[in-house]
Amino acid sequence: MATVDLTQSSSPSVARRNPLARIGTYAVLAIGLAVTLVPFIWILMTSLKPASEIVRIPPTFFPEQWSLNSYQTIFNDPKVPLARFYLNSTLVSVGRVVITLFTSSLAGYIFAKFVFRGKNLLFGFILIQLMIPFQVVMIPAYLILVQLRLIDSLWGLVIPSMVDAFGIFLMRQFISTFPNDLIDAARIDGASEFGVYWRVVMPNLGAPLATLGIFTFMATWNDYLWPLIVITTHEKRTLPLLLTWYTSQHGQRYDLTMAASILVLLPILVVYIFLQRWIVRGVALTGMK
Amino acid sequence: MKRTALALLMIVATLLAACGGAPAAAPATGGEQAAAGGGEKVTLRVWSHQNPSFIQANEAVIAKFMEQNPDIEVTYEQFEYAQFIQALQTSMQAGTEADVIEMFGSWVCSYASGGRLAEVPVDVMSYTEAQELFFAAPLDGYYCDGKLYGLPNEFNLEVGGALVNPALFEGKDVPYPPVWDTMDTLREQAAKLSEFDGDTMIRAGHHFVGGDGLPFLLLEGILEQGGTYFAEDGKHFNFDTPEAVATIQLLVDMAQKDKLVDPVLFNGEANQPYDGFFAGVVASSFIGSWAAGQGLVNYPDFEFDYVNTPILFGTQRKFAADAGWGKVVSANSANQEAAWKLVEFMAAEQENALTFNGTTGTIPALKALVDNPQGLLEQAPWVEPTFKLLPDGEYLGNVTDRDKLFYEIIYPAVLQALQGSMSAEEAAQTIQAQANEMVDTAP
Amino acid sequence: MTQAAIAGDPGAPRKERAGLRPGQRTFVWGALIPIFLYLGVFALFPMIWVVVLSFFSYSPVRVGDGLLGLGGRNPFIGLENFTSMLADTQTAQLFRTSVKNTLIFAFLVLVVNLAITLPLAVLVESVHNRVKGVVRAIYFMPTISSAVAVAIMWGYVFHPQQGLLNNFIKLIGLTPPKSWLTDPGAAVFGVPLAMVAVIIAYVWQDFGYNLVIFIAALQGIPHDIRDAAQIDGASGWQQFRRITVPLLRPTLLFVCTLTMISSFQVFVIFQVMTGGGPQNQTRSLTMDIYENAFRYQAMGWAAAMSLILFAMVLIVTLVQFRVLRTDWEY
Repeated sequence: MATVDLTQSSSPSVARRNPLARIGTYAVLAIGLAVTLVPFIWILMTSLKPASEIVRIPPTFFPEQWSLNSYQTIFNDPKVPLARFYLNSTLVSVGRVVITLFTSSLAGYIFAKFVFRGKNLLFGFILIQLMIPFQVVMIPAYLILVQLRLIDSLWGLVIPSMVDAFGIFLMRQFISTFPNDLIDAARIDGASEFGVYWRVVMPNLGAPLATLGIFTFMATWNDYLWPLIVITTHEKRTLPLLLTWYTSQHGQRYDLTMAASILVLLPILVVYIFLQRWIVRGVALTGMK
Repeated sequence: MKRTALALLMIVATLLAACGGAPAAAPATGGEQAAAGGGEKVTLRVWSHQNPSFIQANEAVIAKFMEQNPDIEVTYEQFEYAQFIQALQTSMQAGTEADVIEMFGSWVCSYASGGRLAEVPVDVMSYTEAQELFFAAPLDGYYCDGKLYGLPNEFNLEVGGALVNPALFEGKDVPYPPVWDTMDTLREQAAKLSEFDGDTMIRAGHHFVGGDGLPFLLLEGILEQGGTYFAEDGKHFNFDTPEAVATIQLLVDMAQKDKLVDPVLFNGEANQPYDGFFAGVVASSFIGSWAAGQGLVNYPDFEFDYVNTPILFGTQRKFAADAGWGKVVSANSANQEAAWKLVEFMAAEQENALTFNGTTGTIPALKALVDNPQGLLEQAPWVEPTFKLLPDGEYLGNVTDRDKLFYEIIYPAVLQALQGSMSAEEAAQTIQAQANEMVDTAP
Repeated sequence: MTQAAIAGDPGAPRKERAGLRPGQRTFVWGALIPIFLYLGVFALFPMIWVVVLSFFSYSPVRVGDGLLGLGGRNPFIGLENFTSMLADTQTAQLFRTSVKNTLIFAFLVLVVNLAITLPLAVLVESVHNRVKGVVRAIYFMPTISSAVAVAIMWGYVFHPQQGLLNNFIKLIGLTPPKSWLTDPGAAVFGVPLAMVAVIIAYVWQDFGYNLVIFIAALQGIPHDIRDAAQIDGASGWQQFRRITVPLLRPTLLFVCTLTMISSFQVFVIFQVMTGGGPQNQTRSLTMDIYENAFRYQAMGWAAAMSLILFAMVLIVTLVQFRVLRTDWEY
């Protein structure tokens, strides 16, 4: 993909002046868009075909006969309490977002604006946390949940991740730039320390809180491995688990499998369309992953 | 004031969050409260793997049970197969498993020896009584170290039969339904059923390359040549034998010489014997009769039949049988009495066992249903070809971890031989080494 | 790491406030003590426990005598979990295969990802602002999608007969591979075809992150510098090589490390798309850890393996810092 020709237009001025480079640039971008979008469209189209059309070789891209059968089958499947799965995913994701935002901003504020003994040690501990992959602590975390009797409980998806080292780090970075004068002024006006944090600092953290919130939400919504380990009861499953349950139940029923995939993808894509500005900016700003 | 309140709030919040989960997990053991409450309703939880026809059968029997026992409430949950195994292991440590579990017979002893399962109370059924009622092959999977840990529903049989699709026999110069008395006939006729697009196989004539198919064929081949797969101590294995090599070579020839199936495109991961058959890309599929029952539920409009497949070697059929699905009771269950009542109801009462085998198209573990097969054959006529095979089956034996041996040792090695990246001898040696390592490192 | 890291002076904690006033002390410790108690339980303790577990032959199926179920039937075995990684057993071979696969995967993902995102970022940066916004938003879309759905989606795209890809290849007159995900004999430059397929799917899902980061970094390069270079007669390639890339060095370092580390931790796409097959050619270390811990309940062994994963993350972080620093200062 990277050729000398293409990179020649690296300067905006070149691209603006040279029409050939401009056409080349747009052509490459268009190919990129096609590669990105076609798989989505392909499974959407597949989900709208009747089962008989899907097994045809060679396949059609757009349905010859449009059909909502696969969606109806899923909605009417008594074994798939779809609303329940959506609710589970929402509860767990929102719960984690609220708690993470609170703990991250509170600790971030303290690390940014207070000087106290042991601060470097504690913050160093937070930084080390950033380096530890989830899979490394997965086994003990599971054993702890067993002790706490949180296996097969939605709480088990929230409780092990109520404090997010990256969130604290991020908030500290942002709050460091917050002017001390405002904080001092609030103190002089008689605000309590918590009042300063809650009424003065928090309201000014819109952008970073939104970014952290959205990413925590998406990570939780899409998480597969941890719910796979923790949740055993069908009714307590979150959406990604439904998907593998559905695939293995229906094997090569691509109509149903693809419709189920669309049902899982759709909410997050809708959220994304509305919040994409925040999300993309958030990544650019924080390198969050 | 406010500061102290905050500090308190934070601590309380942490504690609440930590404890809040405990009540959430409590319903798992909710039975205790119910039992303690005397006249209160007892709640039983039942778990099974998910397979539409099994679910349908269990639901029907459970509904009937609740009707007859208004004081017992039964909730029934299902799991996808791989998640079921994992869920069993994790939940049993956490004590959140169901009271009654539908378990595969060949797994029972490993859970029983870990103390996870309850023994069948003598007033429910003794082993001697059970021997009268059930075939030995399924029952022996539930009998560990002189104790009985559950009752079987199914005589598991994965050999001796195949699903056939009439539509894919048309115009192929092969009689339908096929009568396959010898392997030579099968190989000759099925070869005509394979279809190609250039070099690429688009339809398999006879698909046997599955996670169940390959291991069972290997064991059948060994037994029919008079061999054994166990070492002398009865615990380790001996797969590096002429019988094993000859069987693997037969399968390799069927794939590579006869081109009955392309093991790269048709195997246990893609176009599986069951999925591929009902997707219309397999003309005949080597599989247990349960597949017919499941197919009828999932694909009600699909036309197919279930026919016998021939003996692999010699003239006398001999095969290894799994214990099959049945019901066990968790040792953690607070409602042992009610749980065993349900197990007995589901597995030992003829009428309910008939509902189970009839709906699922499985072969009964209960002898009476085979002795008087009319009821079963009305519901599941396709199981008839299997009846004559039943006396030739022997219990698989204690193979340490059945799923690991089948799916992660035998299947991958034989598959490699079929795909040409290993010789039959090497495959046999690989199975031998890995199976014995499994025995030696078992927890 | 972040632009916000360049803290403005007016926000720095004041040096003269070396101690905390009583009210502040209540606030600071009232908030930090619960948080760190919590981290003690859910972060520090697991880290210690996983190290301890790796010295035991621990399986939660067995009841041990001592603290936390260790000892007795879950005996202390010293370094045996680690030495057995080199043994000639199937388990150890599988572990080594999975480490090898993970390394191949991470390395190729990094190369392919950078080869796509770096030039693409330059192109996106060069177009009109409104187009830029739309294009960037769409490129980023796969990253927010559920990995399970992506794995299922691409599994279907790679389907030998019905799949989009093989039919597209046929359409343009080429011969497609027989089977992307199940053919153990197929390889591209020695890399198993199934691994190539997984890499394609993963890069497709993941490239949006790096792209967005690079675009942001490019926007940070003053136009004057490039304009000056242009006046001096530098070609586009020279500009890219001599100006853009060196100025992006800190970002590049960050992106490389992050991409590689997160590739080590990929699980879902392997598990769902290939299940580790064919013949373990796409079995990842994370899959091996998961299966041993939760399918076979060999948690001591799995803990030892997860420490190897940790070591890999650590080494890559350190090595990449060094390589980028020395290599580029010519």
